[in-house]
Amino acid sequence: MDALGITLQQLLTQLVSFLILFFLLYKLAYGPIVGMLDSRSQKIKESLEAAETARLEAASSAEKVEAEIASAHQDGQKIVAEARDAASKFREQEQGRAREEVETMLERARTEIAREKVAAIEEVRKEFAGLAVTAAERIVEGTLDAKAHSTLIDRVLEEGLSARKN
Amino acid sequence: MGKLFSSPKLLAIAIAAVAALLVSVAGGALGASFGLGFLGGPIPFISVPAERVVLLGSYPLLNSTIMFWFAGLILVFVAWRATRKMSDVPTGLQNLLESVYQFFDGTADGVAGGKPKSGRRFLPLITTIFLVVLMSNWVGVLPGVGSIGRVETIEEWVEHHAEGLVGEVEEDHPGYNAEQVEVIALVRLLEEAGNETFVVFDGVFVPLGRGEQARAPLNTIISYTPADLLAIERAVEAGEDPANIEALESIHHDLEAGVVKVPYTFDEGGKNESSYNFVGQRAGLLVPYLRGASTDINTTLAIAIVAMFTVQIWGFRALGVRGYGGKFVVNPFKKGPIATFVGVLEGFGELTRMVSFTFRLFGNMFAGEILLISMAFLLPLVGIIPFIGLELFVGIIQAFIFAMLTLVFGVMAVASHGDHDSHAEDH
Repeated sequence: MDALGITLQQLLTQLVSFLILFFLLYKLAYGPIVGMLDSRSQKIKESLEAAETARLEAASSAEKVEAEIASAHQDGQKIVAEARDAASKFREQEQGRAREEVETMLERARTEIAREKVAAIEEVRKEFAGLAVTAAERIVEGTLDAKAHSTLIDRVLEEGLSARKN
Repeated sequence: MGKLFSSPKLLAIAIAAVAALLVSVAGGALGASFGLGFLGGPIPFISVPAERVVLLGSYPLLNSTIMFWFAGLILVFVAWRATRKMSDVPTGLQNLLESVYQFFDGTADGVAGGKPKSGRRFLPLITTIFLVVLMSNWVGVLPGVGSIGRVETIEEWVEHHAEGLVGEVEEDHPGYNAEQVEVIALVRLLEEAGNETFVVFDGVFVPLGRGEQARAPLNTIISYTPADLLAIERAVEAGEDPANIEALESIHHDLEAGVVKVPYTFDEGGKNESSYNFVGQRAGLLVPYLRGASTDINTTLAIAIVAMFTVQIWGFRALGVRGYGGKFVVNPFKKGPIATFVGVLEGFGELTRMVSFTFRLFGNMFAGEILLISMAFLLPLVGIIPFIGLELFVGIIQAFIFAMLTLVFGVMAVASHGDHDSHAEDH
């Protein structure tokens, strides 16, 4: 023991020194560091969990958004189709009405024209009859009795008209 | 090689390294045999017990204790700096210490069964052991440790060693008074230690010469003959007052002077004898002020005691007094005498582990110290550099071994023996 230098005094010194050192390192290093390691691993675990839930939430909301977009797309297409239908129907209606109007207007114009023609012919005949009578009167003044020859004249006019007609 | 010669910088470095190596070889012990050896010191003196630096009252402060406290201070300072402002993103010292604790946390969990936190009860002790042993080892490599010290005079050395013989003398001569015992102890020491050598100093503290020539044997410093010693012993036996013994007086006179009195010779290689004339120069021993903490067996024993004591506490706490105590104390009438014998062996095993802890660390670190001293003697200047690296490596390995073995013994202590079915009901 002596040759190795083991003495009670020195042994106790080192023993007490080591125990004090142990206590100090426990307080200064072990406690804070292990606490820090544990709290950090806890934090990492929590944030991983939070990230996982966030990921799931994001996935579900993306799905929702996609579904909404799809339904909106469908709605839009429906609306467009309806609008197109309505537009073509409207166009057809309008076209029909316009055609009818044109037709009635044409009809009216035609009847008007016909009536005008008859009236004009009547007027012309009357005028021609008067003119013929006057002309005949001048030609055969005196010899001719207006009343006795009116029948003849009428016939001539009649023939004349029919000849023009043909 | 081509690269070496093309770059002047590399070439200069290589030349400098070779020159330093040559200088260190020539300046060391090898060069001394060719008349060089200008860098060498005296043959190093190696003392297994730690040396006393100063006597505080009646408490001798040893150089290894100083370094142990220094190592502790470094650890406490590092721990304080590392944990003063902790952050979730560790940097610097915090990172360093955290790595150590995390490594041992994982290792302890692995050894203790693999579940997280199952090794937590071992963690404070094994991390402390690792850090303390590591720092104790590493402070021993610091420059100045083991090489700077004070000179112990011959008088101090003789007094110190004669004290150790007092008990022996008292046993042999129960009738002697204190003064007589002191004289006989001195005589016995001189009888035994005549060939102990001491470093001869030039002036105050620089060793004179190098190698063996700088060491003067005790009997060239204190002049006495075996006949003188016998005469003193006879005179004391006859009851003469020690103050009146002439031979003793001259010995005390020489002790006080502490200088080389006669030229001395050394037997070199059994053939040629060389004599050295250093008459009138002071002689003594170098007592280093600092010594690696783990090169003192008291330090390693103290840590081993704490480790093995704590292992027992872990065992008792995990298995109960009967459960753990049942490993060592077995009733021979219940289990048979062989089981009892095995139990006793287990108890001795715990003691053996403590001793092996002590000597493993002490032996490794002390050998390292001697290696460094020897290398500084043989190849001063640069020869020591690779060995310093080796010592740093050995220091961390030994610290790791100490911590890991403590952990393994602890795990073994808390594990209930499968073949001991009796303590199933003890829980």
